[in-house]
Amino acid sequence: MRSLKRVAAVVGVGHTDWVRDWNRVRAGERPDDCYGYAAGALRNALADAGIDRSRIDGLIVGPTTAYERMAEVLGLNVRWGDQADAVLSVVQACMAIESGQADIVALVYGNDQRSVGTQYGGPQAMGGDLFLSYVYHAPWGLTSQGALYALMFKRFCELYGVTERDLGHVAVAQREGSSRNPNAIQRKPITIDDYMAAPYIVEPLRLFDYCLINDGGVALIIAEAGIARKLSAKPVFIEAVGRYDLNQGATSLEPRLTDFYRPAQQAVAEQIFGASGLDPSDIDVLQVYDSFSVHIPLALEGYGYCGIGESGRFMREAGIGLAGKLPTNTSGGHLSESYMQGWNHQIECVLQVRGECGDRQIENARRVHYTSDVAGKAVSIIYGA
Amino acid sequence: MAMTQTAATPPRVLALYDGPFWDYLKNEGRLRLQCCRACGTWRYPPGPACPACLSPEADWKPVSGEGELLTWARFHKQYLPAYPAPYTVIAVRLDEGPTMISNLVDDPPEGKLVGRRVRLNVTNMDDGVALPRFELVG
Repeated sequence: MRSLKRVAAVVGVGHTDWVRDWNRVRAGERPDDCYGYAAGALRNALADAGIDRSRIDGLIVGPTTAYERMAEVLGLNVRWGDQADAVLSVVQACMAIESGQADIVALVYGNDQRSVGTQYGGPQAMGGDLFLSYVYHAPWGLTSQGALYALMFKRFCELYGVTERDLGHVAVAQREGSSRNPNAIQRKPITIDDYMAAPYIVEPLRLFDYCLINDGGVALIIAEAGIARKLSAKPVFIEAVGRYDLNQGATSLEPRLTDFYRPAQQAVAEQIFGASGLDPSDIDVLQVYDSFSVHIPLALEGYGYCGIGESGRFMREAGIGLAGKLPTNTSGGHLSESYMQGWNHQIECVLQVRGECGDRQIENARRVHYTSDVAGKAVSIIYGA
Repeated sequence: MAMTQTAATPPRVLALYDGPFWDYLKNEGRLRLQCCRACGTWRYPPGPACPACLSPEADWKPVSGEGELLTWARFHKQYLPAYPAPYTVIAVRLDEGPTMISNLVDDPPEGKLVGRRVRLNVTNMDDGVALPRFELVG
């Protein structure tokens, strides 16, 4: 399987000042709307890439904005365009480049979810028109994604003996990363005892298992491999992509609540490691979409970083912090850096490979695996130097 | 002045195929699901075709109301007027095959619950909705 191996590379990344946006929104201001945040991020990504906007011939916008209006705001006439979430944006940019429909693609995302009070739970939960499971179980009082992950983790605990205290290592490790990240919103280090002392929201999950909700924007510039080498001293290549969806029984959450979506992750692992000739021991840094901390132990097991049922011990003993065996969500992720719905993780992947992560840089980080298992699909990307 | 507050059951999805599910619960106090007339596969939520064989023909047949508890979670925060915390959401694998999200009617006892047998318990909500819930057996 070719799996888009080194077809394209990231040549620029940019984001808004999440900390400033957070402080202003909490002070009652509305610094920008989705389009404004996206435009700010794109300006920074173009500067990082060192290219003029006129070089862009493809555009992907995030799911929170309308494609045509975004392109109009950014003044971009392009020969190819699409709308997608973070991980699929990268995949689709590579597909467009591979098929010759674009050479340099801008990926832009802006979200004003905090300042406009976007609802991710409740009977009017965002996305309910796309995912029946988001609204179907409201009569029984299940309307939040957090509760879904609580259900997953409870079964996981009872089947494998993983504990709530084990799960606390996720929040603690990610706060270690964010404490060394000037762009992170929550930077105060926490201990396992702090984690355990925080209140349950939906048991077995506590406050620190939940992601932030904040405003901001992210942009990436992805270029065809040959062009990328000319444009950038440090292009970060997409080594492999993989995807598998489990749709049977999806509304009743069956693929998640029986086997934790693991069969999909295992199928994706075969695709990405097979295509790249790598295996989990070749991965220096792991980045996981973490709307909830529970994603991390499930990804560790699903992708073969540890055995089934062993993620509790792995996090406790081998470690997922900056000095651990597998540093994970080194920026702080959604829990502590910024909830940019997977987009900020792409930046961290690129910066780790470029060696530009400052105090949280993992030494000789050459390959970073990003994975996401939300919204009814498992998708992964391996980034490499 | 005494006030009684009865919060409405959070909204049900009532699309084209959903009606009989709720009507049978209310009128018979029984849980019926669509069963494929061609291959006998049970399905939930209600829908236009059998996911096993794509046949459109189905009968609304009563299920045993028994199953196995897949997992559970205890809400400590109130999200909905009809659901003051704490309450318990569960996932049940019915003996007929489909998985249902529901509630455990009693407070969960100490100890592990995954794999425990459960039985249907239809609750009549204040606003007249008959809601299929479950209780632990044995």
